[in-house]
Amino acid sequence: MTAEAGVRQALKAWIVETSGKISADELAGDTPIIERRIISSLQIMDLILFIEELSGRSIDVEQLKVGVFRNIDAIYHNFFVERTDGP
Amino acid sequence: MTESRIEAVTARLCAVSRQQYVNPYRDLVWPERLDLDQWFTSPELISLHGTAVYEALREDQQRRLSFYEAVNFFSLNIHGEKALIEGLARRLYQRDKGAIAPYLHHFLDEENKHMVYFGGFCNRYAGKIYPDRKLDVPRDYQPGEEDLLFFARVLIFEEIVDVYNVAMAADRRLAPIAREINRAHHRDEARHLVFGREIVAALLDQYRDQWAADVLRGIKEYLQTYLVATWKEYYNPDVYRDVGIEDAYAIRQRAFSSDTCVAHRVRVTERCLGYLQQHGLADRNFAL
Repeated sequence: MTAEAGVRQALKAWIVETSGKISADELAGDTPIIERRIISSLQIMDLILFIEELSGRSIDVEQLKVGVFRNIDAIYHNFFVERTDGP
Repeated sequence: MTESRIEAVTARLCAVSRQQYVNPYRDLVWPERLDLDQWFTSPELISLHGTAVYEALREDQQRRLSFYEAVNFFSLNIHGEKALIEGLARRLYQRDKGAIAPYLHHFLDEENKHMVYFGGFCNRYAGKIYPDRKLDVPRDYQPGEEDLLFFARVLIFEEIVDVYNVAMAADRRLAPIAREINRAHHRDEARHLVFGREIVAALLDQYRDQWAADVLRGIKEYLQTYLVATWKEYYNPDVYRDVGIEDAYAIRQRAFSSDTCVAHRVRVTERCLGYLQQHGLADRNFAL
């Protein structure tokens, strides 16, 4: 399994377990997890902690917009792909 | 909102606020330096208390942990109060809230003053405030729903905080400044809690019959999730890292679901959950 596949699988498992509203088969990379309330605004704090643990980097929440968590693809690209301009 | 009752409560609370509000610039004595080998959080209220990780720490490490737990407690109060001030300011002088406007002035004033001493402690002695990891997601509401959720969130947050404040204000093991901050906060919060219980009940009376069953169910589900999310902030891996505990995230996850910590949360939340259940805002079998 590639590093990217491992991260995506970990994110998927976390969302399925935390939400209780969707199965792993139904959850794709572009499934809108906030818009469809699969993850609630109140669970984002836990999601941020999980992403920090998975990436090994702390997240500056003051600079974030909720759109960076809109689906697994967005989370991967914003927090796990090396960028020079940050999320 | 039943104006006669809420007006009477508001008038009484305003009178007490005018006489008894805490002045953070005058009423607290700040030591130049703090000896960190003291208790700053009651050991029984430390998030890891009763877990194997906590028991494995030496007492000096436990005391150091109690300092960072206090910084976290004060930090989450700052973040909670910032959101509270925003919400109160938005509601001040709204047409349907004329009856409570006089007390909203005190509420705003007192919350601002609380942040002075919470921030004062964190910045003076820890050189930081732990960051807030909450994010708002905009959504639509039924009439009255947003107000109810706002005041119910405030009530839940303050009910838990107040149990900690009362216990730590009376705890002679704590460094004097930690006791004083908890005591000062409780003095104002006791009034905020009275107001919170009244306003939530009044809003429910006013709107409950207008809401469809799925709106009420959504409110209940949201508040139960909020209760759990509020508690999760007490288990901050940044705190554990600051005292050198390894695998801080995994420790946090394990502690949160441990029987000892669940039992602690049930004890602290008993009064708050009882109120929510009595008003149909939480399920009777809701488990923390």
